[in-house]
Amino acid sequence: MARDFAADILDPIAGEIVTNVGRWVDREVKPQASEFEHADVYPDPLVKGMSEMGLFGIKIPERYGGLDLSFECYAGVCMELARGWMSLAGIINTHVLVGYTISEYGTEEQRQKFLPRLVEPEIRCALTITEPDAGSDAQAIKTTARRDGDDYVINGQKMWVTNGQRAGVYLALTKTDPTAEPRHRGMSAFLVEPGIAGFSVGKKFDKLGYKGVETTELSFDDARVPASALLGGKEGSGFQHVMSGLEVGRINVAGRGVGLAQAAFDDAIRYAQVRVAFGRPIIEHQAQQIRLAEMATKIRAARLLTFDAARKKDSGVRSDLDAGMAKLFATEMCQEVVLDAMRIHGGVSYSKELPLERYYRDAPLMVIAEGTSDIQKIVIARALQREYPV
Amino acid sequence: MRRRRPSESVNIIVCVKQIPDPETPAASFKVDEAAKKVIPAQGIAPVVNPFDPQATEAALRLRDAAGEGKVTVISLGPDSARDAIKHALAMGADEGVLLNDPSFEGIDNFQTAVALAKAIQKIGAFDLILMGRSAADWDMGVVPAGVGQLLGVPVVTVAKAIERNGGAVKVDRVLDDGFQTVETPLPAVVSVSNEFGEPRYPQLRQIMLAAKKTVQVWGAADIGMAADELGASGRWLPLDALYVPKVESNVEIIEGETPEEKARNLAQKLRAAKLI
Repeated sequence: MARDFAADILDPIAGEIVTNVGRWVDREVKPQASEFEHADVYPDPLVKGMSEMGLFGIKIPERYGGLDLSFECYAGVCMELARGWMSLAGIINTHVLVGYTISEYGTEEQRQKFLPRLVEPEIRCALTITEPDAGSDAQAIKTTARRDGDDYVINGQKMWVTNGQRAGVYLALTKTDPTAEPRHRGMSAFLVEPGIAGFSVGKKFDKLGYKGVETTELSFDDARVPASALLGGKEGSGFQHVMSGLEVGRINVAGRGVGLAQAAFDDAIRYAQVRVAFGRPIIEHQAQQIRLAEMATKIRAARLLTFDAARKKDSGVRSDLDAGMAKLFATEMCQEVVLDAMRIHGGVSYSKELPLERYYRDAPLMVIAEGTSDIQKIVIARALQREYPV
Repeated sequence: MRRRRPSESVNIIVCVKQIPDPETPAASFKVDEAAKKVIPAQGIAPVVNPFDPQATEAALRLRDAAGEGKVTVISLGPDSARDAIKHALAMGADEGVLLNDPSFEGIDNFQTAVALAKAIQKIGAFDLILMGRSAADWDMGVVPAGVGQLLGVPVVTVAKAIERNGGAVKVDRVLDDGFQTVETPLPAVVSVSNEFGEPRYPQLRQIMLAAKKTVQVWGAADIGMAADELGASGRWLPLDALYVPKVESNVEIIEGETPEEKARNLAQKLRAAKLI
């Protein structure tokens, strides 16, 4: 049984919500997560449960039918989902991120068109930035959107699209002015609905972990969208809008790191008390005590750092520094803690009968996705430079 | 005794209890034998009695099937028992009442039944009182019968299904070796078993609404109970001793020349120990 950390830290309503999500995770997710994961099957019943609880509308403003809860509450929910199965927090990530971007930067027409449909949700969202030749260097994307009368014509390839097969709207980052300097001033984001000519979903990637949820390629081949699909109705702000959305994504991924590490720790401290070696439970050996103490301390630090970043985002100010720090620390910590949990378990951790091998395969995704650790360090350093002018 | 109201509207009272988490690890479960009390486990929050959300679920389904009505939740316990009420409100119950008074400390099941019955009388008209089949801490399962007796209404225990039929309810009961269907006029008390099925998970929106609802708090005087009826001294069932039994384990290797002889020796030892 995991201690109820959320109730210790969050305000009463957020604490109650996170505690309830945690109960659902314990009863519905943990018993069957590995089965879904090993089969790489989309967890329809679990996503239905998330939907029935109202998780997909968690950040949609109330005037569009959502709950408009805090990022702090959302971070806690992500932690709990990932404690059961990291992929579930991934399924909700792009949905919340795109919903946030629409509500913050979309035109009123775009908000009214999409946001009420994201609550139930009637449609799900995907974010498309990465391309075959552009990952960390997002401004190097080659996908273009060319104005043609009342439309834009989009051409290009996108990679690593979470929810790629199931999304009802894709937030696609493009270049409307490929010659612009600095490059980001020529970038624009579009809300693309599937089913249009020239738009197709490509292959689904077979991944090391992060299974269940599909990750796909996308192709735009003279795909024509109306000008009303341009996010915010103005060219040249797409990079800024998507980066702001990525702050939400980084809080989500930091929360995933905390949740997954907590799951590994919960298993490890339980096992350490029942596994006997050299005549006593291994938790009585100093080497394991030190390891467990370090694990718990790092998890606690990452949890607080993640809630701190979420609170900063809630305050409405730029939070790339805070989200970057949380994401960097929580995901690197998660990898270390999962490996430590395996060391405590010994050989049995290498078996597919325990979830540790799943944690071990899921952890690296978070170090890489939503901006690698190296990118986070650059984001943090640039923000620090802003904060310490000379 | 309050009679059923003539409309299809249904007024249901659900009694819920907050208990120590039954999944508390054995190492954390401690008893103060001198004080005859369970010592709350450090860091492990109390939970709603596992059968009670099923009683709440039954109430919500009956209310929703009627199209109108009210589900009122009562809990007797410390201030933290408010959480058990909030959980039922988050599931969709309408109102909550916490019976909270220092003199409720240490009372037994019969005193609890008296307090609940008096609170229910104070609430007023009701069609149905629902409770979990028992509380997983003491596991007596007598409070539903006590409340029914005190209010003078029929009691049906261990329900797996409840269907309202005008002025009556049809209840499927769980037996050791099967099921029994009975019908009783309303008002009545029904205790609900885990076979009723999974209770709903609270929706986030309901949790937010529940947080805004006020839980009424009634002390002993509010329900007309006197001090001499309450407290450990007023128990109908005095508690003589409370202890965790010592569990001792011993390993004995059964000797024998052949597997058959070993099996025979094992059987004889089990018989001598009256285990077979």
